[in-house]
Amino acid sequence: MRTIKKTKPFIGIGIVLIVWVFVTKFEIFNSYVLPTPTKVLESFFKMLESGELFEDIFISLMRVLKGFSIAFILAFVMGTFRTLVPSSVAYYEHILEFLRNVPPLSMIPLLILWCGIGETTKTVIIVLASFFPMYLSIVKGFTSCDGRLLEVGNVFGYTDFQKFTRIILPSAMTDIIVGMRIGMGYSWRAIIGAEMVAASTGLGHQILFSQQMSRTDKVIVGILVIGIVGILTDRVFVFVLKKLWKGSEEHGWN
Amino acid sequence: MGGIELRNVQKSYEVDGTLLPVLRGINLHLKENTITVVLGRSGCGKTTLLRLVGGLEKLDEGEIQFYTEHKTAFVFQESRLMPWLNVWDNVKFGLNNKADNTVFIQNSINTVGLKGFEKAYPHQLSGGMQQRVAIARALAYEPSFIMMDEPFAALDYFTRSQMQRELKHLQQKRGTSILFVTHSIDEALLLGDKIVMIEDGEIKSELTIEAGSKERNLLEPEFIERKKQIQNDLGE
Repeated sequence: MRTIKKTKPFIGIGIVLIVWVFVTKFEIFNSYVLPTPTKVLESFFKMLESGELFEDIFISLMRVLKGFSIAFILAFVMGTFRTLVPSSVAYYEHILEFLRNVPPLSMIPLLILWCGIGETTKTVIIVLASFFPMYLSIVKGFTSCDGRLLEVGNVFGYTDFQKFTRIILPSAMTDIIVGMRIGMGYSWRAIIGAEMVAASTGLGHQILFSQQMSRTDKVIVGILVIGIVGILTDRVFVFVLKKLWKGSEEHGWN
Repeated sequence: MGGIELRNVQKSYEVDGTLLPVLRGINLHLKENTITVVLGRSGCGKTTLLRLVGGLEKLDEGEIQFYTEHKTAFVFQESRLMPWLNVWDNVKFGLNNKADNTVFIQNSINTVGLKGFEKAYPHQLSGGMQQRVAIARALAYEPSFIMMDEPFAALDYFTRSQMQRELKHLQQKRGTSILFVTHSIDEALLLGDKIVMIEDGEIKSELTIEAGSKERNLLEPEFIERKKQIQNDLGE
């Protein structure tokens, strides 16, 4: 049973590959529209060899980590503030609601004007894209804390701050982690968009540049790499978080 | 005069626009170093009374006066353990300080018969065991006054009698004051130095059982007589 479970994902991937091979073999699509898997693989190795791929991955990854970290700190601080001072919500909830509905990529023209085409613009875009899912998750985690557990804190004479650090925060941990994972995903989406518009480096730029050079194979390499790097960062992320808050899931704390 | 005095305690809840009176003027004196049992059927207001004394809710009218300073602990109907903490840390949770309480915590865990389960998490324990952890958490706090809201309701018969004996024993040893809420007449007779019957938010009657040195046997004629009297008072 275990081996079947392990091979299942590969069956799915295998089917996609077979369809891809089949479609290109019988030239259902032009090889410019859809290059063969071997061609894509070839380009992949060439890009690996020349080192350009690593460079692009590294640059994009650094941008994502920077923007994501800033967004997380902001979301956490604001979420905490909102929890500790609930009466403040009325003052800013509409502004936040408004910003949440503005796609960060639509801000690019303005951001280029304001912040130039340097790193700041890209960082701001990532922050805008990943802040809201994290903020909403963190607030949900904080506000959905079981009132009966808070009463236990009251009974044992906990201060508000102690209740926050020892009851509200740990009980919100699962929501915070979910928010962080979603935020990380949004960061990747946003950086690629940003790099396609305002950059000369990174995976997003590489894809757009390949398009202009009519190198569909390189475009596909770029897309595959983004997906894989995205999955890998999520896995590493989960691994690290599990180490930090060990046993959260096994111990019914989610 | 020591203890805790309740004077004309009134409390109502607003449900769908109408005021539902839960307690209609309770006058009660809780003596030091005794177990006062509040007995009544569900919905009679006994839990509300306990929550008012514990300061978890505000009075509408009347007053509750503590004549002496008390370190209070509360055992709820449900265990209310922190799911992210193991047994040891849950028991430690009530202590809320950095001092070395290792012996203390271990003793409390032993008292409730959970030795060996220190590393277990709440979801790995049965409902009764979780409740025992909650009791250990209250005991480790070394309170001088414990409020208990049907704390043994989730326990099986054997554990319940053992815990009742243990509680009585601890209370006598430490001189703790206990306010104990239950709907079980037998439990009230086993534990109570004073039994207060509540019906419809009012005290129906009170019964004092003089402290004897030996363990109570509910099959003795005097207890059978008292049980009949309580049943009678509560209109059964």
